Amino acid sequence: MIFVAGVSKAYRDGEVRREVLRGVDLEVGRGETAAIVGPSGSGKSTLLNVLGALDTPDAGTVRVDGVELSASRPAALAGFRNRSLGFVFQFHQLLPDFTALENVIMPGRIAGRSAASLQAHGLALLGQVGLEGRAADFPQQLSGGERQRVAICRALMLEPPVLLADEPTGNLDAASGAQVLDLLNGLQRRRGTTMVLVTHNPEVAGRCGRVLRLEGGRLTPERARNRERR
Amino acid sequence: MGFVWHVALRYFRSTRADAHIRVLASLTAGGLAVGTAALVLALAALSGFQNHLLEDLVRHTPTLQVEPGGRSGSANGAAGSAAPPVGRVDLVDRVTATEGVAAVQELLYARGWLVDRTGALAVEVVGYEQAPPAWIPVGDAAAPGLILPLSVALRMGLTAGGSARVVSPRAGLTPVGPRPRMRTLPVAAIYDSERAEYEELPVLLPLEQADALFAGGDRRLDLTLAPGADPEEVAADLRSAIAPAEGTVTTWRQANRALLFVLRLEKGLVFSAVALIVAVAAFALLAALSLVLSSKRSEIGVLAAMGAPPVRLQRLFLALGALLSVGGAGFGGAAGAGAAAFLDRFRVISLPSDVYIVDYVPFLVRGRDVLVVFLSTVIFTGAASLLSARRASRLDPVEAMRSART
Repeated sequence: MIFVAGVSKAYRDGEVRREVLRGVDLEVGRGETAAIVGPSGSGKSTLLNVLGALDTPDAGTVRVDGVELSASRPAALAGFRNRSLGFVFQFHQLLPDFTALENVIMPGRIAGRSAASLQAHGLALLGQVGLEGRAADFPQQLSGGERQRVAICRALMLEPPVLLADEPTGNLDAASGAQVLDLLNGLQRRRGTTMVLVTHNPEVAGRCGRVLRLEGGRLTPERARNRERR
Repeated sequence: MGFVWHVALRYFRSTRADAHIRVLASLTAGGLAVGTAALVLALAALSGFQNHLLEDLVRHTPTLQVEPGGRSGSANGAAGSAAPPVGRVDLVDRVTATEGVAAVQELLYARGWLVDRTGALAVEVVGYEQAPPAWIPVGDAAAPGLILPLSVALRMGLTAGGSARVVSPRAGLTPVGPRPRMRTLPVAAIYDSERAEYEELPVLLPLEQADALFAGGDRRLDLTLAPGADPEEVAADLRSAIAPAEGTVTTWRQANRALLFVLRLEKGLVFSAVALIVAVAAFALLAALSLVLSSKRSEIGVLAAMGAPPVRLQRLFLALGALLSVGGAGFGGAAGAGAAAFLDRFRVISLPSDVYIVDYVPFLVRGRDVLVVFLSTVIFTGAASLLSARRASRLDPVEAMRSART
């Protein structure tokens, strides 16, 4: 499902060239969950952005859901992100001018579908996360945990085969974080979605099938599992 | 409603929430309203004036004229003979037979003198066939004889019913040698015209008299067209029926080319000057959109991360630009057209009638002018929107989303 080989990425910080990724290799199978851990500034988010076609590597191959990302044009990559990827960000990144339901169905609107055809599915998703009564509320009317649950619904709206989550609980209190993680794991299992999650929280990482450590620009397996935890 | 307009309308609504954006959006709408209203009014005033001028021009200029050239023209005329030469008769017949031509009047143009005891006055002389041409305002009272412009009559002390001596520069042979040709003719009528301000008015006399005095003068056929006939089409038919050596066909537009060019130039210059207001409003729009882009930067990044392609993000800002400008431009255009109609209907602005050809400022709102104003507004605001739209489409989603946290 996800195949990464020899990916390198460097940033220029003034006169200094910072090599964030150095020949990273990664394979994540269909329905598998992988957590990428590492200290702050180790390049976890950069790797996730590369997997999500939001950033381009300086070298190496990235293939997600059968699509060679480095060979695709920007418009094709946008379509790929819309169809095949769901993003959950640390800071929910909901659109403040749109209601919870409108935020959830936004990927469908981008895909060119009408609001009417998406609403039933959007409401069902909100129902699954216990927010059916908050569909008409705007993000500023929701709590942090509720916002992140809406963001998860949005990521799953078009049932993408791959879900990428960047510190999904990083901005939440312990109770809300656990609730969001349960939700994410439950939805992922039911749908058989491939999930790559970036975190520096060992507890969060422990709930994933595989844990990989990114340090010094290199990715090393910290813990491998044969079977996903149920 | 598609994604682009859905998001654009929501962002348009949100512009009211931000005080800075609201001020710039109001400036944009106000500037566009003033600019389009001023453009519509200025063009309506110019069109009104020009319409009066052109109507006057059309009244005083034949719709089509044919100037016989080469051998078929004056050179073919028998000296001193009132009978038209055979070539010219054939030309007149062919012109008359052309579809769309209702009547043909032959005119002779020459220069001569009006002479009295005190001296001579050089005048332009026009010999007319049958009745005086329509562009000479003498009515039906003119009997055969001289028709004098008022200015000439005053200078020579002539009145209708009197007589005047017309002298030709062409000499005639007499037993005592060559002598100027001259005839004393009765003054049939005196006319006045507002065209006196910008043109020397001619002395008119019947064609047979003019032929006898000025046989070598320039001839012209003035054509009256049948109702509904298109001058350009008739001119094209005439040009195919008449060889260039036989005659030159000129439409009233061609005859007044220089004046029409000046009128177009005047309109273009006024339009360019007033359009600067719209240009300034477009800068306000650019500032408003830049501020919207700045405040919505992270959201644009999220939309891009969710798969909104750059071209649709570009369209989103073009749509937002249209939403911010359509109200002001629409209101301004309607207000300008309404004010022009009111000013024209009630003749609100007066003018001294002894200076201008009309005694009020006429306004004429032309659909074409409104379309030009609309298109220029679209171009100015479209260019301003496009600059912001291009910046939105080039946003790096990662950087844009990061900006929300910093």
